[in-house]
Amino acid sequence: MQTLYQPHDSFLHRLNPLSKLLVALPQMALMLLASEPWTPLAFVTLISLTLLVLGRVKLGRFLRLLGPLLMLVLFFTALYPFLVRQSLVADTPLLWALGPVKLYQGGLYIALVTGVRILGVLISSLPFSLTTDSADFVRALVQQARLPYRIGYSTLAAFRFIPMLQSEMSVVHAAHRVRGVDSQPGWRGKLEQLRRSAVPLLTTAIRQAERTALAMDARAFGAHSHRTYFRRMRFSHWDWVYLLGYWALGALILLGLRSLGLLGPLHVLQIL
Amino acid sequence: MPIIEIRALTVKYARRKLAALNQLSLDVQQGETVLLLGPSGSGKSTLALTLNGLLPQAVGELREGQVRVTGLDTQEHSVADLAQQVGILFQDPDAQFATLKVEDEIVFGLENLGHDPAGMDARIQQVLTDVGVLALRDRPVSALSGGEKQRVALASLLAMQPEILVFDEPTANLDSMGTQQVFALLAELKSRGKHTLVLIEHKLDELMHLIDRVVVLNPQGGILADGPPRLVFDEHGPALQELGVWMPQVAVLAHELRRRGVELSLFPITLGEAVRAFRPWVANATPAAQQPARSSQAAPALEVKQLSFAYGHLQALQDVSVKINKGDFLAIVGANGAGKTTLAKHLMGIIPPPAGSIALHGEEFTSIPAKQLARRIGYVFQNPEHQFVTETVWDEVAYGLRVMQEPEDIIARKTQELLETFGLWRYAKANPFTLSYGEKRRLSVASMLALGQDVLILDEPTFGQDERNATALLDILRGLNQQGKTVIVITHDMRLVLENANRVVAMSAGKVLFDGAPAELAGMPQLLSDARLTLPPLARLSALLATEHPHLRNVLTMTDYIALSQ
Repeated sequence: MQTLYQPHDSFLHRLNPLSKLLVALPQMALMLLASEPWTPLAFVTLISLTLLVLGRVKLGRFLRLLGPLLMLVLFFTALYPFLVRQSLVADTPLLWALGPVKLYQGGLYIALVTGVRILGVLISSLPFSLTTDSADFVRALVQQARLPYRIGYSTLAAFRFIPMLQSEMSVVHAAHRVRGVDSQPGWRGKLEQLRRSAVPLLTTAIRQAERTALAMDARAFGAHSHRTYFRRMRFSHWDWVYLLGYWALGALILLGLRSLGLLGPLHVLQIL
Repeated sequence: MPIIEIRALTVKYARRKLAALNQLSLDVQQGETVLLLGPSGSGKSTLALTLNGLLPQAVGELREGQVRVTGLDTQEHSVADLAQQVGILFQDPDAQFATLKVEDEIVFGLENLGHDPAGMDARIQQVLTDVGVLALRDRPVSALSGGEKQRVALASLLAMQPEILVFDEPTANLDSMGTQQVFALLAELKSRGKHTLVLIEHKLDELMHLIDRVVVLNPQGGILADGPPRLVFDEHGPALQELGVWMPQVAVLAHELRRRGVELSLFPITLGEAVRAFRPWVANATPAAQQPARSSQAAPALEVKQLSFAYGHLQALQDVSVKINKGDFLAIVGANGAGKTTLAKHLMGIIPPPAGSIALHGEEFTSIPAKQLARRIGYVFQNPEHQFVTETVWDEVAYGLRVMQEPEDIIARKTQELLETFGLWRYAKANPFTLSYGEKRRLSVASMLALGQDVLILDEPTFGQDERNATALLDILRGLNQQGKTVIVITHDMRLVLENANRVVAMSAGKVLFDGAPAELAGMPQLLSDARLTLPPLARLSALLATEHPHLRNVLTMTDYIALSQ
């Protein structure tokens, strides 16, 4: 499956996937809860530095990844002020109006905050996803997080089905077009098309899954409740250093923002 | 004591009326190399699955009898225990991987068995070296070629150190280069002499020197013949041909000649033997008068001009120009990734060609509406299931006619005609997905012909079929071609090309390397190897004989050889 992961040797690459995940998840929550732009902005900077320095991600690749995310955020920010409930912002200065369409300063501010928060959530996952091999992640889940290995490895095997099904899907559509199948407009046509492609796709998927299951059984998969691991994942002192260091730094940032009076309230309803 | 002992084995699958294997008994001695043959559906793969206990422990039902491998009863020992005695290499290289990386794949079985990780590194080195792909250790499995995948899959079996290795059509999904790689590996395993090998395969000529014994299953799931290869093919040859069982081509030729009264000093089963056996006869045979090359009508049906195409950075077609004449039986050949399918997709408008690059009967391609195109060109996909859009065989054929809004009585007449021609009339009410593979193939061709298209494109038409089904389909295609239809096949099967096509286009890396008569291509060894093609056994036989008897140079197929004898 196409993932963002690129093999390389760096501090982040060598860390246990779980420590990277434990850094990313609370951060994402924080971004969702923030009500002002400063906290997300500070963390976006921290994450970018982490990626470039600790993950040794090349600046060019980082910018290429950031580009589309920024576009998305900009698009959202441009649209959002017009979607905000007007009664919330009607007491702020009116910046621009065209008939019933009005742009208030308050609306623009909320849009900016929301845009930065979305950017923060999206990029929070990058230190994990850019430097983590999916097989290592499964290994760490099984070895450290005590996920049953049958579930972990079955998921890994299922990963490989996604590109296969994607290419099957496009072949099936081409084949149906050649038969002169017209896709009818509207949801009925879409539904009909889905039904027609579903049978050949399911047939292939089930056949493939049966074969893979036999091949895995034939190599003693699931025979014993425990198995050994050639690649042992460890939660080393460096993982603790990263995890605790990052959290400490994050707390410092929040304290700093508060002493500057920039830290707003965190609340759940702010999400939307 | 035999290493494999099968006693009165009867196996049944749920929801099937007939037993897949029926009272079958078989002993295999340690170190033997056994070739397992039989018509499709005779239970070869089923038999393979019984050897490591997958049957009955994962699928199927063992009704009667007993299977023992290395003395272990497969019903009493777990698949995990048996996995250390028997390794099975399956046909689909993609479906047998459990992980994403070569190294992970090799240790997968050992980890499941709870082996000590300390010894695994040495084991990985060992088995990857044994199959000759040590350099691939850190690769993702998705980046391997078909031949490499099968090698890695075999290495992952060898890691568990089984004594018995079973190969279930390991080359069926590979092109000729991948096939060569797997065969070389088989030869090496055999020469090391550590394993007992059981082989299911139908490309036989290159394997016969490795085989100690041939076991042929009959359609009822019992044993039809069992013995040394020469004896089986000599004595049972006609019966095997009758059933559509693949045989070495040289053995088929020997039977054909014998039927025509030619005495051979030795019944040949390998190319080397065939050279010796046929040499005296060839010396006296005179070649038939060269048939005048079948001239196709000069008017081009399809003309491709300087077509280029890229998938992202990957250049799939580079400046391709081909003129396909009306009435041609044209083969487009080349290895996987040569650009054959991409070219064909342009010919059907699946990938829209740039304006001016393709003309159909002189008419600019891009100006023909899609519906019109479907009426004029038929395209049969490699996997017939992809094309099925209805729930009965009858509707499947009638579908295209309904789309074109033909009157009902014409639809009924044409549909019946086609179903009868293709031997599918008795399945008219069945669901297309319940047909056998060969029947599905025929149905996909029939449904493509309903509109009376005069150009038919087929992607790998003989893929995955037994001898009889493949021959039947090609007979139909030749018949259509003789009626004046233009037939284009995409294939890497050079036997199909030499036996049927009047023209061949060889592609490699998106470029056309050769465009001309098949016999001419057969005489260009350098070009064949550039395009990663291998000649079929009989063409190689004549190349060997031609060093002494130059008149054999143009004798390339069974038909050519038989013509020699008259």
